Amino acid sequence: MVTEFGLRLAISLTQIGAVMCIVVITVLILTLAERKVLGWMQDRMGPMEVGPYGILQPFADAIKLFFKEDIVPAGANKFIFTMAPILCLIPTFIGFAVIPWGPNWTFEINGIVVKPFVISDINIGILYILAFASLAAYGIILGGWASNSKYSLLGGLRSAAQVISYELNVGLSIVGVLILAGSLSLVKITDAQTGWFWNWHIFALPAPQIFAFVVYVISVVAETNRVPFDLPEAESELVAGFFTEYSGLRFAFFFLAEYANMVLVSCVASALFLGGWNAPYPGTLMELVGLSSWSWIESTMWFAVKTYSLLFLFFWLRATLPRLRYDQLMRFGWKVLLPIALANIVVTAIAVFIYQRI
Amino acid sequence: MRSTPTTKRLSLSEWFKTITFYEILVGMKATLSHLINYRPVTLQYPHEKRTLPDNYRGMLALLRYDDGTEKCVGCDLCEAACPSRVIRVVSAEVPGEPTKRYSKEYYMDMTRCLFCGMCVDACPVDALGMTREFEWAVYDKRQLHLNKQQLLAIGDRSFSVREKRLELQHPNVAFFNVAFSHVPPKPN
Repeated sequence: MVTEFGLRLAISLTQIGAVMCIVVITVLILTLAERKVLGWMQDRMGPMEVGPYGILQPFADAIKLFFKEDIVPAGANKFIFTMAPILCLIPTFIGFAVIPWGPNWTFEINGIVVKPFVISDINIGILYILAFASLAAYGIILGGWASNSKYSLLGGLRSAAQVISYELNVGLSIVGVLILAGSLSLVKITDAQTGWFWNWHIFALPAPQIFAFVVYVISVVAETNRVPFDLPEAESELVAGFFTEYSGLRFAFFFLAEYANMVLVSCVASALFLGGWNAPYPGTLMELVGLSSWSWIESTMWFAVKTYSLLFLFFWLRATLPRLRYDQLMRFGWKVLLPIALANIVVTAIAVFIYQRI
Repeated sequence: MRSTPTTKRLSLSEWFKTITFYEILVGMKATLSHLINYRPVTLQYPHEKRTLPDNYRGMLALLRYDDGTEKCVGCDLCEAACPSRVIRVVSAEVPGEPTKRYSKEYYMDMTRCLFCGMCVDACPVDALGMTREFEWAVYDKRQLHLNKQQLLAIGDRSFSVREKRLELQHPNVAFFNVAFSHVPPKPN
């Protein structure tokens, strides 16, 4: 006899395990894909030694990091030094709980309503992601401070300033989408974009969010500390920035957090702006063929395609652009992106107001 | 006191390029074209090696004649020619043949060698040669201090065709085996 609580727990844990597996596998793929894509763009081959065409390189890296010596530098605050990578990793992984991976289906097991493609459809989904993304900055700052190293501290301080500046733009660029969809739940926002691709919020009619999308993409590149905004870990100035003193498994945690964060922001961008799991055409091809119970595969594939395209954009930017100077970064964030995001909110609000009156 | 320098007024096309990230898009097009027309310029080194040029100057070696005798006559000219003092020759008489000399000991400190090939040019009997070996990474740098036997072994494995010992060379006379064709004959 299974109690209702036990059943709910089992279903949730299954979903969490599946999502964690998908995210970790994606991160493994990304570490290889980044090196390969960067290599190809620079007329190199990338890793070629481990396995055929180097496809087993992520596993070799993981095993190497796992068996490396774990060094705590002298004079480091040992408790915070140990906590920082975990503080960085957990908020990133927690964000995946509200991402809708597929169509908004429900089915019942013993009277319990289960949504198979989202772990928890809470009505403040996007706010929850933003809140935890801000918490991840604590991991970076505390890691930089606790290392007792000037490079780590400088990296941590830069990260603090950068994350505060660009979190604001991320939050403001999303507001336009929230006005259009009328909800904070990512499931409802994605549902509002069904139909043809011009229903996606990037092209949606009362107020196309294309400027908001550009602001969002630039801001999340800065927020995930990627090139050209990788000042917290600028290797030519700060050795490795905030994780200079980290080694072994703790370094792996920071690494994992950075890539998982990239996946998270790409998922959010595709859910908010690019229609999430919706295909660019109404319905799915599977339904036309008559396999409507298998149409979730097509939907999740569309979600994956959108997310991976955005992740490719991250690599593409990294292969192309040099690092910004610190004052340029700050000026761009506050004097260019912030006014665009604010203007977008005003225009969207007016457009939606007029559209509802007509 | 002005806080910011006066910025140049942008023309309309420049302004349009700025707000559409035109320059960045040009750069991204360049990287994407390299991705699409992917032709790597690198070689997978241990598995595939580049073809060496004909005059490649690699590891130095001591040579032998076809009958197995060493070419080196112990003249020390290579030692004199070497700019990095790589070579040390200990010359000695051949026992029982007072007119003939040979190198009793011959050392090369390959940690200092810059592969200029001056010793090969200086050698009057062509006893030194440059092989096409270049993979000489070792774990202990003392392994790069080579003695005569090692240098002869390198020569044996690199130069399969040995020069014929000349007939007119008297066994008691050190014969300088060089081509004299370019030296003008002495006037009578």
